[in-house]
Amino acid sequence: MGSMSAPSPVANDLLRVELSLPADPEMLFLARMTAAAVASRAEFNFEQVEDLRIAIDELCITLLRSGGRVGHIALLFQWDAEGTLDVVGTLVPEGDPANNGHQPKSSESPLPVELSQRILDALVDDHGTDAIGGVHRVWLRLRRVRKL
Amino acid sequence: MTSDAYFDVTDSGPSGATVLNVRGEIDVATSPDLHERLFALLEAGSSLVIVNLTDVSFIDSTGLGVLVEAVQEARAGGGDLRLVVTRPQTLKLLELTGLDEMFSIMSSPSEAVKS
Repeated sequence: MGSMSAPSPVANDLLRVELSLPADPEMLFLARMTAAAVASRAEFNFEQVEDLRIAIDELCITLLRSGGRVGHIALLFQWDAEGTLDVVGTLVPEGDPANNGHQPKSSESPLPVELSQRILDALVDDHGTDAIGGVHRVWLRLRRVRKL
Repeated sequence: MTSDAYFDVTDSGPSGATVLNVRGEIDVATSPDLHERLFALLEAGSSLVIVNLTDVSFIDSTGLGVLVEAVQEARAGGGDLRLVVTRPQTLKLLELTGLDEMFSIMSSPSEAVKS
């Protein structure tokens, strides 16, 4: 996991796509589909499109682990002409988190978490988590491989 | 439309191996189904389980975690669990997580039965 800070707010020369979906495992295919479409649009090669699809899935799983399955996941994809793609995922709770069962799972096996970290470490250039104003965020950055 | 995974089980004759054929996407929504199927086979006494992932178009950390739990369970009981993988992206994921060292990975169910 990288030590850099999360991507800065959108600048004028960035293209952006926003997606909001229920914090429901059944809905994560939408995030993967969007990731593939964005990566293609940003002219990533086939392997990187697949990498981003997996990475976004792991990002969403991290968000689900952080706060349960109440509310929705907001994903912001933004990329520039140089081929740097940033994704910020936020878990947006519904109602009062203290009263809606919105608690991280503590009994989950550590294995999938470790595997998820290994996958993100290998597939993207940088990734991390932070919390701003009590809102949990997960972010990643992937740079386009230069064409030969 | 949601994530979907499909399973069917076939026996491999006198070898005693049981093949679990998996199709579709194995993610956080469908990995509990994979867990249920695999552990049902192990609890039923299958000593060699072959998980055929040839037709799996996507697998993530939750699916890999289920496979790891299952192979550990199989080996603890004196059996084994082997994978059939041909899709490059799945092979890549196994390699970059280091799980290629843990599993016997074959290119076809018949090869997995013989080895």
